[in-house]
Amino acid sequence: MTSTLKGITLKGSAELVAEFFSFGINSILYQRGIYPPETFTRVTHYDLSLLLTTDPKLKSYLTNVVSQLKEWLFECTVQKLVLVITCLETNEVLERWQFDIECDKSAKESSAPREKSIKTIQHEIRSVIRQITATVTFLPLLETPCAFDLLVYTDKDLVVPDKWEESGPQTIDQPEEVRLHSFTTSIHKVNSMVAYKKTESA
Amino acid sequence: RMDLEDDTTILTTLKSFNSFISRPEHPQRLSEHSAGSGILQSQYKRSMELLEAAERVHSKNRYLQLDQEKKQMELSHKRARFELERAASDSARDLEHEVDRNQELLGQIKKLEERAEEVNKKLTEQKEANDALQKNLEGLNKTLEERDDKLGTANQTIRSLKDEIRELRQKIQNQDSKMSAQTLENQELQEKIDLQQRYTHKQGLTLSAQSSCSDHIIKIKELERRLVFQEQDFAIVKTVKSEVARVPDLEKELKRLRDDNAYLRESRENCSLLKEEVEGLRKKLERMEKTKEELINMELEKERLTEKLHAWENLGQSTGLNIRKPEDLSREVIQIQQREIALKEQNYTLNSRSVERSQSELRAELTQQHSKTLEEQKKREAQDALVRRLQKRVLLLTKERDGMRAILESYDSELAPTEYSPQLSKRLREAEDILLKTQSHNAEMEVCLQAELELESLKKQQASATDSNSLLTKEEVTILRQKIEDLERERQRLEEQNNILEMRLERHNLQGDYDPVKTRVLHLKMNPTAIAKQERQQEVEALRQEVTRLRDLVRSLQSGGAVGHSQDDTAIENLRKQMESSELRNQRLKEVFQRKIQEFRTVCYVLTGYQIDITTENQYRLTSVYAEHMDDSLLFKKGSNGSMQLMETEFSKTLGEMVALHLHHQKSIPAFLSAVTLDLFSRQTTV
Repeated sequence: MTSTLKGITLKGSAELVAEFFSFGINSILYQRGIYPPETFTRVTHYDLSLLLTTDPKLKSYLTNVVSQLKEWLFECTVQKLVLVITCLETNEVLERWQFDIECDKSAKESSAPREKSIKTIQHEIRSVIRQITATVTFLPLLETPCAFDLLVYTDKDLVVPDKWEESGPQTIDQPEEVRLHSFTTSIHKVNSMVAYKKTESA
Repeated sequence: RMDLEDDTTILTTLKSFNSFISRPEHPQRLSEHSAGSGILQSQYKRSMELLEAAERVHSKNRYLQLDQEKKQMELSHKRARFELERAASDSARDLEHEVDRNQELLGQIKKLEERAEEVNKKLTEQKEANDALQKNLEGLNKTLEERDDKLGTANQTIRSLKDEIRELRQKIQNQDSKMSAQTLENQELQEKIDLQQRYTHKQGLTLSAQSSCSDHIIKIKELERRLVFQEQDFAIVKTVKSEVARVPDLEKELKRLRDDNAYLRESRENCSLLKEEVEGLRKKLERMEKTKEELINMELEKERLTEKLHAWENLGQSTGLNIRKPEDLSREVIQIQQREIALKEQNYTLNSRSVERSQSELRAELTQQHSKTLEEQKKREAQDALVRRLQKRVLLLTKERDGMRAILESYDSELAPTEYSPQLSKRLREAEDILLKTQSHNAEMEVCLQAELELESLKKQQASATDSNSLLTKEEVTILRQKIEDLERERQRLEEQNNILEMRLERHNLQGDYDPVKTRVLHLKMNPTAIAKQERQQEVEALRQEVTRLRDLVRSLQSGGAVGHSQDDTAIENLRKQMESSELRNQRLKEVFQRKIQEFRTVCYVLTGYQIDITTENQYRLTSVYAEHMDDSLLFKKGSNGSMQLMETEFSKTLGEMVALHLHHQKSIPAFLSAVTLDLFSRQTTV
């Protein structure tokens, strides 16, 4: 464990946030049915029963993104992480899960660990993940085959690594927005929200 | 043959005659002539006789023939006639039958009609009888009523007669009494008369006899009159007595009528009794019908209840639980209820947990809201202080206003109406200016007051030093204060604008907008959406290609030409060629086999003399080449052990000896067959 009893370091915080993103994205993919539920397996983390995918291609993609994200979190150059769900037939964006990341850049200069207990952070993360699970109740059904994409909002002056390219923001036209809970590691603060396309009322 | 013989004799005679006629070219032989002529004549006669005989025979033949024909025709005629007669008799018989049947049917119809008529008559008779009976009944009813009336009247007459009788009796009694009294009086009077007569006799002539006689005569006349009256009364009494004598007859009639009355009353009572009985029976019947309906309803209910019971009993089978009695069912229900309760408890615990969680969240929100409310309260208090200050200002202003109004009014009262408006307006403007100035002055004064309170403490410290600068600083302070206020107002406005813009920005931020100057949006090139889109594209392409290929195939197949350049077409072509070649081979083989078989069979037939055909499985028919008839054949059957056995046929029956010799004794079929061949051959050549 990187975050020891002493406190949270920048590196530890980055790891925590990246871990959260990994579990969070898996949960969203399972809940929204982007991948078939039988390709997910249960694990326990944050005192919760969470689902992780077993699809090898998906796994490798996620590890790529999350590892790169960890680097950027460590450098405090990432502003947002967005999970976009697109309908394959019409090519329009149906859902948008946006995680705003506020980094306390002062933690870079000092390297003294911050005082915040792991338990509290885990508790906050737990509430966010529970909220993600609860959103299933009001989000509209995804009836058409969909695919997802992960977008990262970074600082402009960043060097674009290979295999990454620029893309548009992929916003939804006239969305409904719902803000979820946020959590903070005292170095990184993550605000979560979900925007979805309003369904035509019958 | 007789004709033929006749013809030949005729021809021979003709030939001889012709030869004889041809000989007269040698007229030299006269002697021979005469002899010859005699011979000739005899020959001629003989020939003529022969001719005539022949003709006769011919004609006889013909006659016989015609006779025969005639006989035959007659026979046929007779036969035909016979048949016709038979047919005629048959048809006559049929006709008779039909006629009989017709008559029978007619007779039946008549009988039925008669019966119908009888029945109708009976019906009408019955109807009439019914009517008559009804009329009788009515008549009887009427007579009954009349009798009743008569009875009533008779009773009345009887009563009246009784009264009359009573009265008459009374009268008679009176009359009797009167009569007795009268007789007594009579007697007395007679005695008196006697006395008087005696008196007269006694007193005789001497006394006023005439007067007393006249008196006596008058009295006698009166008595005679009374007698007459009494005789009249007597006659009346007699008539009354005669009338009274009729009374027993009347009483007899009365009795009879009473009897009849009683009888009729009894019959009426019987009638009423019968009617009551009928009504009672009808009511019983209604009750019985009701009970029947009730019974049916009860039976239906019973069936329904049994069905329900069965359903309840079958619950055990339908639900799959071990239910045989209601106790089991209640047990199951209790178990289910307990399970439900347990589940509900679980549900509640879960809900409570979630509720706790939401509670904690709500508490946090509550604390936030509390802090917000405290801030709001502070703001409100500040606002209240401001309000109070403003209210005080307002009061001062209103007082000023009132004062100004009073001044204006005083001016108004002093001034003339024409000089009103311009001066008023001027004065209004002046007053307003003064007001504004005083207001500003007031505000400044208040601010000054507040500031001065603060400055006083400072002044006390710097009393000596700043005395000279007090005036200057005061002015500066006022200017600065004004500036501060202006700046404050601008700040507020700018703050509001800032809030609005920040809100807008946040909204856009939420929606995902970003500032291109500062941020960049990145994603992996090989991301799942891109991969999915690519796969979709590939799928679509592949489908399109397949569609075009299939369309071409369909078109080519429809047109019929196998102009396919694809691999499948060549394969099809190969297969087709193979099939054709194999078919040709088959055909050729068939022909060759046929030919060979035919050859072999003909050779067998020729060499052995038998044509062997297979009729059915294991049965062989042999026909010999020398067979006398087409269907002379031998039938051999192959047994289960492989040996050949001869079957019975028409032809084999004729070969009994050979069968016995060659098959039974020698047990050799070829020997038998060759014997048969030889036999048939020998038979053929002899004929």
